[in-house]
Order: sequence, then C-alpha cells, then structure tokens
Amino acid sequence: MSTTTGDPRPRVRTGPDGVAVLGWRCTGCGYPVAQQVLTCPLCREPVADSAFSPEGEVWASTCLRVRVPGHTPPYAVAYVVLDDGPRVLVRTPGDRPLPPASRARVTGTSETGDLVAVPAEEES
Amino acid sequence: MSAAFVHGVGTSRFGRQPGVGAPALVQQAVTEALDDAGVGDVRELDAVFAGTVFGAPGTAQRALQLLGITGVPILTFENACATSSTALHEARHAVLSGRFRRVLCLGVETMTLHFSGPITPEETDVEGRAGLALPGVYAMVASRYEHLYGLEPKALAAVSVKNRRHGALNPRAQHGAEVTAEEVLASRMVADPLTLLQCCDISDAATAAVIGGERGVGRDVRIAASALRSGELWDHRSTQPWGYELMARVAGDAWQEAGIGPEDVDLFEVHDAFTIGEITATEALGIAEPGGGCDLVLSGHTALGGRQPVNPSGGLLSRGHPLGATGLAQVAEAVWQVRGEAGARQVEGARVAAVETMGGGTAGIDGNGCVVVVLGG
Ligand SMILES: [Zn+2]
Repeated sequence: MSTTTGDPRPRVRTGPDGVAVLGWRCTGCGYPVAQQVLTCPLCREPVADSAFSPEGEVWASTCLRVRVPGHTPPYAVAYVVLDDGPRVLVRTPGDRPLPPASRARVTGTSETGDLVAVPAEEES
Repeated sequence: MSAAFVHGVGTSRFGRQPGVGAPALVQQAVTEALDDAGVGDVRELDAVFAGTVFGAPGTAQRALQLLGITGVPILTFENACATSSTALHEARHAVLSGRFRRVLCLGVETMTLHFSGPITPEETDVEGRAGLALPGVYAMVASRYEHLYGLEPKALAAVSVKNRRHGALNPRAQHGAEVTAEEVLASRMVADPLTLLQCCDISDAATAAVIGGERGVGRDVRIAASALRSGELWDHRSTQPWGYELMARVAGDAWQEAGIGPEDVDLFEVHDAFTIGEITATEALGIAEPGGGCDLVLSGHTALGGRQPVNPSGGLLSRGHPLGATGLAQVAEAVWQVRGEAGARQVEGARVAAVETMGGGTAGIDGNGCVVVVLGG
C-alpha cells in the first residue's frame, strides 16, 4: 500500500490519565469531529483541538473475512459513538463483532494505525 | 419540452471478461441502443452523457469514435454505483430544458482490469484506510438494521434465492443459476452476516440509453420522474443504517414529481449489491414500512408472480455489478418490462416501473449519491 498519502484516520494521545481520542470541536455549536476540518461543517464557526473520551457505545459492527489489500482477515470492526464525541470506526479483538448497544473503550492504535477498542468492562 | 422519453436501450454482455476492453463493450451496448431507438444516423445525437467509476480519462471518447460519435459534447459523470443513473437524470433534464434534443447515455466499467475480488477501499478515505471494504459497509447496515428491527438470516437468504431465481430467466445475467436458502447461508462468510451468495460479483460491461422528447412512437417509454441527491452528514447523531435516509429522501422526491406512490408501481429494479441493500431499499421506497422489509420478501410480494416484483432481472446479484454501467442496466430492464419485451421474466401487465440506484463508499456521509427513476405510466 502506498504510504505517500496523508493518513486520514483519527489519532490517540496516551497520558497519565489514560487514552484520549484526538479530534476537533466547534467553538460555536459544539459539533465534534474526528477528521481534520478548518471550520465546523454545520455552522462554519472555528473549531478547536479536542480530546474525546475513549469510551462509548457500539453503534454497529461486523467482521471482514475477505482479503482486502493491506489488511489481514479476519478482522472485526465497529462504529463506536464516543461519549460526548464523534462516531469512530475501530478494530476490536478476535473475530466476533461487539454487539450494538454494548459499551466499548478505545485503548490505542494498532501497528497498522487503526483505532483499537475492547469491551468497556475488560481490562486494557 | 414537457416530458422526456427513453427511445432505446442496449447492453453489452455482462460478466468477467478481462479480454474485452471498454471500446468493444461500448460498441455492443450503443449499437443495440441506437437500433432499439431507430437512430440510423449518429448525427441525430446532440450529446453523450457517459459514466464510469474506474475507467481511465477519455474512456468514453476513446470508445465512441469507433462508432463515429464525435464532435458533439461528451461529458463523463462519476457517482459511484449511481454513475449512469446520474447520467440519465442529467440527460433527462438537458432534454427537458431544450439544451439538447437527443442525448445518448452510456455507462461502462471494466472492473477485472482493476480488481480480482472486492473493490479495494480508497486509502484517502478515513474508513477505507481502515479496511472497511464495501461488503463491510453493507454488513454494518445489516448490523444496525438488526439492532433496530431484528433481522433473520432467512430473510437475507430469501433475497438472494428470489433474485437468482429471476436471474435464471434472464439470458443477460452473469450468474444465471438458482440457489437454495441453505446454499446461500452455507456459502463462505464475507462480512458477518453477509455470505458470498449474498454479494454481487464484479463485472465488465457497458450499457446505453437514448433519451429524447416525445415523438409519437409507441415503444418509447416516458420518464415520469427522476430524482438525485447526495448524502447528508452521517455521524454520531445518526440512528439509521447507512443509505437509508438518503434513499428515502430521493424516493420521496421521485414520488412527488411522478404524482404517484410506491403502491402504483408494477415492478422495481433496486440496488441489491448485497442482500440487505434490497431490504432497506424496499422500505426506503415505501413498499414496506420501516422494519417490514424482511416480511415483504418472505411473503412473496416481491417475487415474480407476486403483487410487486422487485428485481425481475435478477438484480445485481445475478447480473453482476459493473459499477458505472449498473444504473442503465436497471433502466434497460424497466424499459423492457414496461414495453412487454422481458420474455420469460415478464411482469404481467407491467405499466409503471421504478429504478433505485445507491452509490456509496465515502465515510462521513449517508451515500455518495442515490437516484430514483420512475418510468412508464
Ligand atoms: Zn458548529
């Protein structure tokens, strides 16, 4: 896979108080976004750097079992709506997708650069 | 111009045919469409609205010169799976506005040139970079749908069984074999809960349609309505599966323009790239209530012989999915059905048909584009 393209995936920050998902929040309406924006897509007010909660609710999930260039199947993925934050796409361990409406927590990024999350009650 | 009509349609052969390039496919489709429309002289065409997703720059011009179609404006559209539906929608409005009297619409895709399996996701896309290939996008639709309404595997299987049974009656189908529900569910898992026989195949093909005004020819099919939108932001505020609200908005536009509702339509060609896509499309179009799409297919309502057949052609599951060519393939089926020329898969007494094409893949929005076209009446 080409590495010449800027990586659009969200990043995390790991500090003494744990992991935070980095992104932006509108200074006008509070809209949270995980992709870099110059102004708010909703109201065009300025955005500020923001660190979002790593915890949230699984919105939908699946496991891809087909070969996709640059990715080794099987890999489970989920949309997680971070608490008071944006919805992000995460990898989850194993090949059993996390059930929608369950709680999940982002623990970091994988070697391949994807956000990784585990069931919220599990130890990271 | 008060109405635009489809004067003629044509397609190439559908299938994985890597040895056949775009120029040959385009010639097959356009020749059939021009003959079907009774266009003897290509100088009767005022413009070409073409579409391809993965085709090289100049794909349309490179092929059309071999048919002597030169000199007129040739525009190429890209709107993911809805590419050639978008070309048709725009051609209709170009005719209605009087800008052009007659427009050739063309869709062409040579997918085996680029892929051996699923489309490689776009790495500049935040979710494409994370490996969310299109089967995964639709699997997420199934996951969310199941959470909202419940989803039995037998309903997903029923879509594949029905459409492949229809496809067995379609000599143009890439996959013309019938399957059982057991075979569908036992086939290899691609992205939970979607198995291989619930996914359309990639395809090389071209499709064409000639669009013009009213000329008093009985075989011409009136375009009663067409609607096009791109997706809204689809983010943490969203509750519905991907594409659902976009399809519903576009369908609402189309029904309003046509002055009819889904209950007045005799057959539908909808975007069944994956089985769950047909279930959500039938709800978004209003054939079933939200959450009613599974019962709809299980009841036989949407099978040939049922009250409102969906995908009598066999759909993308049978025909294969040559992205930029798919929309006009759906339109061609609708035209043949409304004319009564659909052979063994003819919907008896068909007068009005509706086509829905859903294009997607871009993270963050509810679809790249969706088109709904109402034909006949
Ligand atoms: Zn804002």
